[in-house]
Amino acid sequence: MPSIRIPGIWRCCALAFVLVAGSATPLRAATGTDQSATLADLQRKLDESLMAIKALTERVRELEAKQTPAVGATTPAAPAAAEAAQLEATEHRVEQLERADASRKTGDSGLPLHGFADVGAGTHNPINPSLKGFYVGNLDFYMAPRLGDRTRALFELNTEVGSDGTVGVDLERAQIGYQFSDESTVWIGRFHTPYGYINTALHHGSWVNNSLRRPRFLQFEDNDGIVPAHTVGLWATGARHIGAGKLQYDLYGGNAQQIVGGALDMRNAGSPHGNLMGGGRVAYQFGDGAVNGLALGVHAFTARITADSPLSATRVRTYGGYAVYDTDAWENIAEIYVFDNQDLDGGSGAHRSHAGFVQFGYRVPWGVPYARYERAVLDQSDPYFSALEGGGSYYRAALGLRFDVDLRSALKLELADTHLTDRSREQYGEGLVQYAIRF
Amino acid sequence: MSNTAKGWCNMRSASKAARRYRARLLAVALCACSAEAGTNDLYVVCNTNVILRPGEVREVFIGEKYFAGAIRLTPADNLAAQATFLGRVVKFTADKYANLWTKKAFRDGANPPPVMVNDNEALAYVRQTPGACSYVEIVPPPGVAVIGKF
Repeated sequence: MPSIRIPGIWRCCALAFVLVAGSATPLRAATGTDQSATLADLQRKLDESLMAIKALTERVRELEAKQTPAVGATTPAAPAAAEAAQLEATEHRVEQLERADASRKTGDSGLPLHGFADVGAGTHNPINPSLKGFYVGNLDFYMAPRLGDRTRALFELNTEVGSDGTVGVDLERAQIGYQFSDESTVWIGRFHTPYGYINTALHHGSWVNNSLRRPRFLQFEDNDGIVPAHTVGLWATGARHIGAGKLQYDLYGGNAQQIVGGALDMRNAGSPHGNLMGGGRVAYQFGDGAVNGLALGVHAFTARITADSPLSATRVRTYGGYAVYDTDAWENIAEIYVFDNQDLDGGSGAHRSHAGFVQFGYRVPWGVPYARYERAVLDQSDPYFSALEGGGSYYRAALGLRFDVDLRSALKLELADTHLTDRSREQYGEGLVQYAIRF
Repeated sequence: MSNTAKGWCNMRSASKAARRYRARLLAVALCACSAEAGTNDLYVVCNTNVILRPGEVREVFIGEKYFAGAIRLTPADNLAAQATFLGRVVKFTADKYANLWTKKAFRDGANPPPVMVNDNEALAYVRQTPGACSYVEIVPPPGVAVIGKF
């Protein structure tokens, strides 16, 4: 039998009604007739009360029947609507936070600045052998701001100490480029001239190099280098997958360098005669099997380079090749340069010179021991080399050790024996130590 | 054997059975947990506007691939799953990966992927950033494109 649930308030009303009705009839001591009459009266009132209760019960049912759907619809509806609004507000807030966080992570919050620095000591300065003792090396900053989907930029500022102890600041690279695709990017500005391997892969930043210094003939222009390390101009570069490897290419053109005060000047502000230089590099990087990590490349450039003292003009034609075997265990590099130069003013004709180096490095858990041999045989009757401070021939053998102190710092040691073979017959040995960091 | 003894024996055997049952449950749970921990699937996910093949994921994260069609890719590392990702997909140690990006940034002006701290942050980044890709160890929810399971 289904039970009827009567709300408490109606039960109380019914009970009150009964009590009130009951109390309205006075109890009195009566005789048999009186008792019968009283009982009849009570019976009547009880019947009335029961009828009233029945009526009230029916009324309660009616009200409950009316109220139940309404209660179900209205009472929980208010909290449900409030909860939904609250949920929606929370979701909106989370979405805002996610968006803000995502934009923060994409680098919109600032420009990261990174760099390298090194200091050291030696029996000779690694760049200028006439100096000895402790030295401050380079403090090199580079920035690559995130600009957009296809525009790229790279700036590198290097502070270095000259032979006279003065600190100079060079804008080593200032290049802005447009990336057409994975296979093609065009840069304009000042960039590392793409020849050989180390000039683009291991430029400033001693920490990047496993060896303590670059080969002497590939030093930077203001450190008596004989090959233009920087070019101000236009550079197209990219790589395309072919087979398991990649074909890398570089094509560039820019201001022809000039020899000023015995050093190559890359003419940052432009060339006075509008002379241009141009060149290219092509390499194949193997990506599979036993030759994985091997890259073989060729490079060439030509320029009309003038010198201020003595006055001269030379058509410099340089070409060569390189091989790199860079794996988890080995870093072996070999580069060769041939100079087929033509004297344009002095009538001394054609001159051929060459330079190159080979370096073997083996990676062990704590660092990289390496050995290098380098040699430059430079024709001193060539006006190009005779005008350069670092244009003398030499050979050098070196043994070195890179010890990785931690992920961001390395201690390097090098023992080297250098022989100068034409301008002077000097020979000197070197013991060098360098502490290099990245940040 | 008296009824009391039989009842006692029945209770004991029931208790044994219950213990065995609990032990089996525990063993199954442990196996399930260890299997879960051992396999911990890794999902590479991208924004829904990115179309990428699983074989291209490594190139994206080592800075050899910047575009998927016309879409500029913006990969992000997930610190919580990075070790698994580097070992399984990139095949690099964490040190080698860090060194690679140091050299790449210096040589090419490329920026290393930003680092998210966990799966939820990585998923939020991928959902919110066109061209974004990352990796997670939880089953990716709707709203991102699953490039592959590694």
